[in-house]
Amino acid sequence: MPLLEINDLIVLYGEIEALRGVSISVDEGQVVTLLGANGAGKSTTLRAISGLAKPAAGEIVFDGKSIAGLGPEAIVRLGISHVPEGRRIFPGLSVKENIMLGASNRRVAKSELSREADAMFDLFPDIRSFSNALGWTLSGGQLQMVAVARGLMAKPRLLLLDEPSLGLAPVIVQAVFRIISEIRRNTTVLLVEQNARMGLSVADHGYVLETGRIVLGGKPDELWGNEAIRAAYLGGHAKVSA
Amino acid sequence: MDLALQLLFTGIGIGAVYALVALGFVLIFRATNVVNFAQGEFSMVAAFLMVVFAVDLQWPYWLSFLLALAGMALLGAIFNLGVYYPLRHRTFLPVIIATIGASILLANSVLAIYGPQPQVLEGWFETPGIQLGPVYLDSQYLLIIAVTMILVVFNYWFFEHTMLGKKLQATSQDKEMASLLGISVSTMIMITFMYSAVLGGLAGILVAPILFVSIQMGSTIALKAFAATIIGGFGDVAGAIIGGLALGIIETFGAAYISVPYKDGFAFLVLVLFLVFRPQGIFGERVAEKA
Repeated sequence: MPLLEINDLIVLYGEIEALRGVSISVDEGQVVTLLGANGAGKSTTLRAISGLAKPAAGEIVFDGKSIAGLGPEAIVRLGISHVPEGRRIFPGLSVKENIMLGASNRRVAKSELSREADAMFDLFPDIRSFSNALGWTLSGGQLQMVAVARGLMAKPRLLLLDEPSLGLAPVIVQAVFRIISEIRRNTTVLLVEQNARMGLSVADHGYVLETGRIVLGGKPDELWGNEAIRAAYLGGHAKVSA
Repeated sequence: MDLALQLLFTGIGIGAVYALVALGFVLIFRATNVVNFAQGEFSMVAAFLMVVFAVDLQWPYWLSFLLALAGMALLGAIFNLGVYYPLRHRTFLPVIIATIGASILLANSVLAIYGPQPQVLEGWFETPGIQLGPVYLDSQYLLIIAVTMILVVFNYWFFEHTMLGKKLQATSQDKEMASLLGISVSTMIMITFMYSAVLGGLAGILVAPILFVSIQMGSTIALKAFAATIIGGFGDVAGAIIGGLALGIIETFGAAYISVPYKDGFAFLVLVLFLVFRPQGIFGERVAEKA
């Protein structure tokens, strides 16, 4: 049984169908990547899973339990942690406070939280020295590290990562993806990426979304092998031929 | 010089009342992005609760005080559920109008029960005050200053050193993200309203023996407190307290040295000067709220 299974998911924004029957499944221990252009519905899929967007129809089953329609506070308690687009670090709180708040889905004493946050810096050594800096003072790469660290503090079974590479310098993107390959040892990851090359490099399975529908799914090699998909979503030929 | 010291003491005392109400304004504004126009009525209702418990029922002052504060926490909760919660997904305008409506409702409910004549509430202490060198320290003003100091320290400790305080801050900065982390946003906002109602109520109870207890007392205090939040820097906790104290001192000195009838005018003159020359206030936010 997959850890997460989505069947025929439909999400509406007003009258517009943002998702028009999406079905994906994520097995425990995998990294699954959702690819697609802007507006294809990648972020909406994650928002529906974490409870920020209410599904109009369809099933979202996590660990054998239907979670469609639950609120975000309930869903994160079940073990799904969503690191949303734009990082959303609390600007007026320090890095460490941001990270400590990541465990708000669990009951932990403050002293233990502080220890766990310090331990988190072992995985993210680059932000250790910014522990007391306020959120708004950080660079994009640092914000992304804090956002992932905060997401992991929930001790999730499934981590939803939305565009972790967006707006980052290539060397920082590589650092972020090194961390993703560390995370996958303990945590299942559903990753949304526009950077298909990086996104598929860490994936066990990939899906391509197009205007609210899954148009293709398969192993990273199979996706790479599909000429049309390569041209449309994976870069390379598209720019040359267009 | 002796007069100046005396005025400074009085000004800080009355400024502390503005500071408490201003703090309530700021905390609700930060949590909900809405100015609560019923904040002043919280002070008025609490003062009337004191009249009910301590004067009408003749219960001990300390018990009346605790009951009035408990009543304010309850009123804050009801206010949240009845006024803010149903409109929480709307823009700020319907919410602001609802708070104005609630303030009219509260004032007129009290009017219906007590009528228009002001009530008198005695101070906590029998001793009217003590003479300290050239300055006469009125016991009620001393109480106001002491309670405000304790609350400022408590407020700092609560928001900076407890996880609940951090969760409240996180909620005021980004509700959606807070909910993604498992923070119960509706609980955080409930706590904010209860706490702010208690702060406003405390101000009303403390200032009641100095003023009369009337249905107008809320709007007067709220206007000054609102001016204080703008002078201090809107949305800033330290600004609300400094702004409140500054306003109390300015109007006390203005009344003594320039003109008593224009006492209220000085507060608003300072407000206008700030709006023209330093609209962000003393502690104005230079940083964009959302990074």
